[in-house]
Amino acid sequence: MDNKRNNESRERIFNAIKAAAPTVSMDLDIIQKEAQDILAESEFARPKLLAEDAPEALVNRINAGLVIGTSCEIVASLEDLPHSVNQFLNKYSLPPELKVQNVPKLQSLNWESLSIDVDLQKDNTVGMCWAEYGVAETGSFVVHSSPEMPILLNFLPLYLIAVIPKSKILHYMDDYALIASEIANRGETPRNMCLISGVSGTTDIEGVLVQGAHGPEISHIIIVEDQ
Amino acid sequence: MHANKPENFYQNVTEALAQPDLKMIIRRTTDKAETKRAEAIANFPEFEKARQQGQKVKDHTIKYMDHYLAEFEKNAAAQGTIVHWASTGEEASKIVLDICRQHEAKKVTRSKSMLGEEIGLSHALDNSGIERVETDLAEHIIQLAGDPPSHIVWPAMHRSREDVIKLFREFHKDPTYSEEITDLVRSARRDLRTKFLTSDIGISGSNFLLADSGSSCTVTNEGNAELTITPPKVHIVTAGIEKLVPSMAHAVPLLRLLTRSATGGEITQYITFHNGPKRPNDADGPEECHIVLVDNGRTKMLADGMEEMLRCIRCGACMNHCVVYKHIGGHAYGSVYPGPMGSVLTPHLDSLKVANKQTHACTLNGRCEEVCPVNIPLPKLLRALRAESWQKKYEPLTNRYVVKAYAQLAKRPRMFQFVSSCGVVFMKLFSRQGWIKSMPFTGGWTRNRDLIEPESKTFMQQYKASKKAKSSGGR
Repeated sequence: MDNKRNNESRERIFNAIKAAAPTVSMDLDIIQKEAQDILAESEFARPKLLAEDAPEALVNRINAGLVIGTSCEIVASLEDLPHSVNQFLNKYSLPPELKVQNVPKLQSLNWESLSIDVDLQKDNTVGMCWAEYGVAETGSFVVHSSPEMPILLNFLPLYLIAVIPKSKILHYMDDYALIASEIANRGETPRNMCLISGVSGTTDIEGVLVQGAHGPEISHIIIVEDQ
Repeated sequence: MHANKPENFYQNVTEALAQPDLKMIIRRTTDKAETKRAEAIANFPEFEKARQQGQKVKDHTIKYMDHYLAEFEKNAAAQGTIVHWASTGEEASKIVLDICRQHEAKKVTRSKSMLGEEIGLSHALDNSGIERVETDLAEHIIQLAGDPPSHIVWPAMHRSREDVIKLFREFHKDPTYSEEITDLVRSARRDLRTKFLTSDIGISGSNFLLADSGSSCTVTNEGNAELTITPPKVHIVTAGIEKLVPSMAHAVPLLRLLTRSATGGEITQYITFHNGPKRPNDADGPEECHIVLVDNGRTKMLADGMEEMLRCIRCGACMNHCVVYKHIGGHAYGSVYPGPMGSVLTPHLDSLKVANKQTHACTLNGRCEEVCPVNIPLPKLLRALRAESWQKKYEPLTNRYVVKAYAQLAKRPRMFQFVSSCGVVFMKLFSRQGWIKSMPFTGGWTRNRDLIEPESKTFMQQYKASKKAKSSGGR
């Protein structure tokens, strides 16, 4: 890469900004205080939730049909997952196979007659992921890339099941931003942080909504009580 | 379809108005967007406060842009991202091409980015012989059709289902013969799936750049950005410098505003924060990540007192609510950015000399400002550009003489009233059943619609008569 040209362009841009706004203070404390003051307004500038309790608000949002292509259920413990997954597969007449994320808490469950390691690139795959967080405001689940979490697991399958521990469901996106900031302070920011709120959809042809444009067509969230 | 140019605006408009179905096709999408946005705002009583907060986030970042740019650069580099700077669009395209060549890329996938269009990246890639695969469904459609985008959110809104059927049957390897929209989307899914997985480089734009972490954020409903970025070995982001916000927490209010204003949804299905290349042992992701930060006229906007335009989050609400856009569509503007926001942006990205006519294609009804999620005073900015265009003598001589003559006349009330009376009589000569189909000097109007017959008397004559009637009635 041409470093000289890169530096010249950088300098040109910074000089042009300084020339356009020469009187602005660059006191870091002032800048940070102004930035924090803006965030203090968030409490009054965000939508009301459908319940005070975050998990209940998330469930209400999904059950009200406000999260495209998504259903949800609450199970008492992880051991109930295979049964829920079987019901999901039966509902959509799918074969007894799914790609389960490679995390011990999911892999160690008794999947009985289900095959749990299928080729992700098959178009009609069912994927199952362990979400880090849920967000009630938007009906989202959040996944972080890691050695155990291929991001493509959430985008290649036509059907996606996300498992969220109930205690990890947050009220607002702002709450997740705070957590992301704490993760960054620990120097543990993952490559990708994805907030997924519904399924892959498009309205590009005549404004008609079609689900499953590139990624999942159907999504199911299972909230686990005891985690 | 040929690519229109901004300097040919009037000719482009004439051609657009002559297309019988265009207005109906545009309104099918924009009217729906307008209705859905209204519903979304009605369900969000705090919208006005959110709008003020969103405006503050953008104004604060613009005020300290050099500080936040330096922060972003430092933090992105710490994540392992290679940061590039480009003063112009041409420079930005060259940087992207150089990276592609360095990696001997044969195929690149792209997720929708208006900045990519702005810097001419599509053409640059095509001319370099690298296979370019547009992965957003609308961009895929217009790539097959060879069209430029006509809207910043729905770039293929000018294409009907029949057009899409023909295109997919011609270009897809395993096309559908169904005419159902669901089957058409499946056909695109099949066609693009292998391309996602075999691409050498993924190129994306960025909705937000987070200064405190050096992250870029993509927002899509299709999920094509993640599929574009994750499988290839290299990820390149091209982003305008105005995309900066201080942190993720500052991006959140803008995310709330963006989707509601763009499509009327409450939130976009996929919001992903990208933090450099894959970490050691990550299951997937690119091994190398580049960000090209582009100026291309943005600092000129700062210098020209147009910094309010840098608040724009590219939601497209202004064009969905614009009476002019709804009649002529996006291509007539001859620019990547159509509608009200485009009429302000294009003179800075290109030049006012070639794009001054667009600034006059506005009724100044103020709808764009009313619906803008970050309170950009678009009518005010358009008026400022009109004034500048006048001062720089970009207006045609005839317009200048007519305006000067009008100014002289307006200073002389008696003369003004006399000429107005003559005008009324003159117009009456051409009137039939209340309408004027054609008349000298009004071809620009009557070419596409009739002119209503004027009242028999001028405004001042009617005003005096009304005043007289009132005073005699009072006696």
